[in-house]
Amino acid sequence: MRENIPDQPGSLIAPRPAPPERKLPWGRLDAFWLLLIAALLAAGALRAQGAFSYEWNWSSVWPYIIKTDPKTGQWAPNLLVQGLLTTLRLALWGMALALAIGLLMGWMRNHPRLLLRLISASYVMTVRNIPPVVFVFVFVYFIASQFMPSLALDQRLSELPASAQEVLAVLFGPAALINNFFLGLVCLSVFSGAYVTEIVRAGLQAVPPGQAEAARSLGMSEGDSLRFVVWPQALRQVLPALSGQFIQLIKDSSLVSLVSIQELTFMAQDVQVSTQRVFEVFVLTAAVYFCICFVLSQSLAYLERRHARAR
Amino acid sequence: MSIRRFLSVCALTLLGALSALSPAQAQQDPLLETIKKRGKLQVGFSSFVPWAMRDKQGQWVGFEIDVSTKLAQDLGVQLELIPTAWDAIIPSLIAGKFDLIIGGMTITPARQEQIDFTSAYSTSGQGIAASRQLASQLKWPEGYNSPNVTFTCRRGVAGCRTVEEKWPKATLRQFDDDAMAFQEVINGNAHAVISSEPKPSFFTLANPGKLFKPAAENVVNTYEGFGLRKGNPASLANFNGWITKNQAWLKQRHEYWFRTQDWAAQVPKL
Repeated sequence: MRENIPDQPGSLIAPRPAPPERKLPWGRLDAFWLLLIAALLAAGALRAQGAFSYEWNWSSVWPYIIKTDPKTGQWAPNLLVQGLLTTLRLALWGMALALAIGLLMGWMRNHPRLLLRLISASYVMTVRNIPPVVFVFVFVYFIASQFMPSLALDQRLSELPASAQEVLAVLFGPAALINNFFLGLVCLSVFSGAYVTEIVRAGLQAVPPGQAEAARSLGMSEGDSLRFVVWPQALRQVLPALSGQFIQLIKDSSLVSLVSIQELTFMAQDVQVSTQRVFEVFVLTAAVYFCICFVLSQSLAYLERRHARAR
Repeated sequence: MSIRRFLSVCALTLLGALSALSPAQAQQDPLLETIKKRGKLQVGFSSFVPWAMRDKQGQWVGFEIDVSTKLAQDLGVQLELIPTAWDAIIPSLIAGKFDLIIGGMTITPARQEQIDFTSAYSTSGQGIAASRQLASQLKWPEGYNSPNVTFTCRRGVAGCRTVEEKWPKATLRQFDDDAMAFQEVINGNAHAVISSEPKPSFFTLANPGKLFKPAAENVVNTYEGFGLRKGNPASLANFNGWITKNQAWLKQRHEYWFRTQDWAAQVPKL
């Protein structure tokens, strides 16, 4: 376990002495390799262009990002941006919910009571041993269809005052699609939560038992020992693994397009069919997912560095 | 982990799975009453040119949209369009995500085992577009019945079955949507694509150097009906009555979307 965690300041290893002379980070050999790779990529691209008779035409795709309203002449977001917003909402709430599930279940997984351990273990095993696509279908058609209709979210929403509805629309998307959105959100969080559970469990188990024992011997209660000694260490350990899981969650959110949740991938497929521009839409969608995940991974890496310094 | 603990974990997992598989409670009330009470007709469909597609403003247009709109008007309720992935459209209907499929769904015996169909509200056909590069030498139709010939289709559409029945020796490759199935033939990776008309004709017109039509007439004629959950005989009769009453109107709308391209300005150029 420990080997995987990058060196952090404050660890027991003594800091390395500074190298006497700074060498140039770039040698001739590096430049040679870089040129070779670039040449290979270019050759590959040329070959693909030959085998692939496709006329790129981006002009019909742009209007599906931003449209001009014919009545007011103002710009308004079109399908792809609407889908992107849904994906972002799914990602944000999905992370929060998956983390909540993971913390609870991870705690249960290490609990001295057998029943709690069993519940958590069954959950993790069920979800982890089913392929994601199958899980999405089974969850939506067998499990969620049992309880979602009785919640009648859209009806409850329409009874709220207008100001509350506006706030909820920003947080969860248009009222007409609220059932659709929650279905996707619950599905994604339950799925991702199982992986977060395992990460949290690993973190808790990585804290040496001596830590909790020491806390107890200092007179801390069981709860205080968990709160001040075990959990902070566990969470700090799993931060890198958690950020990986969150990035995975964003990419997994494209899976719920299979059950018609109207996020970016679903909208992209609609646009593909309507414009017949398959590859343009694919490339655009991939670029958007890349941007979201890249920004997230960079900000999480920043958080990790700051945490490492804070120790 | 002890054997006892392992077994109890297995039992709990199985229990969870079983309880999840128990069927949803069957709803007894007739469909039409539910729709009227809700004040909204929920229609499931999937995007498919020219049945249902997004115009430049992101709004739905197409033959199905016209039909659904008029049906909702005549019932005196609002229309809620629920775009659904084609693969899962029948499970979604059965799970109660919407009242009706109005999605250009061909009436087939296999589908009739799962859901009920109204009488046909539209007749169309399946057509073939073939690759000039690969298939121009092939004799129609018997030359296509060879293991060296590859057909493409959109997964789950009736055309895939047609290929299996008419050209059993040919290879069939299935794609998630039509655009990819056509692109594979345009790229010269497959010999021919089957799809519901007028799409093969439109694509051949748009790519004259790459595609041709081996046969002018339809390969198979198909009949499309509304799909309903089983066990709603009264509603089924009611919808059948609506279709009979509106034959002329349906025909006229069908002509507009399938025989003309007057609507082409609304959508991006194909």
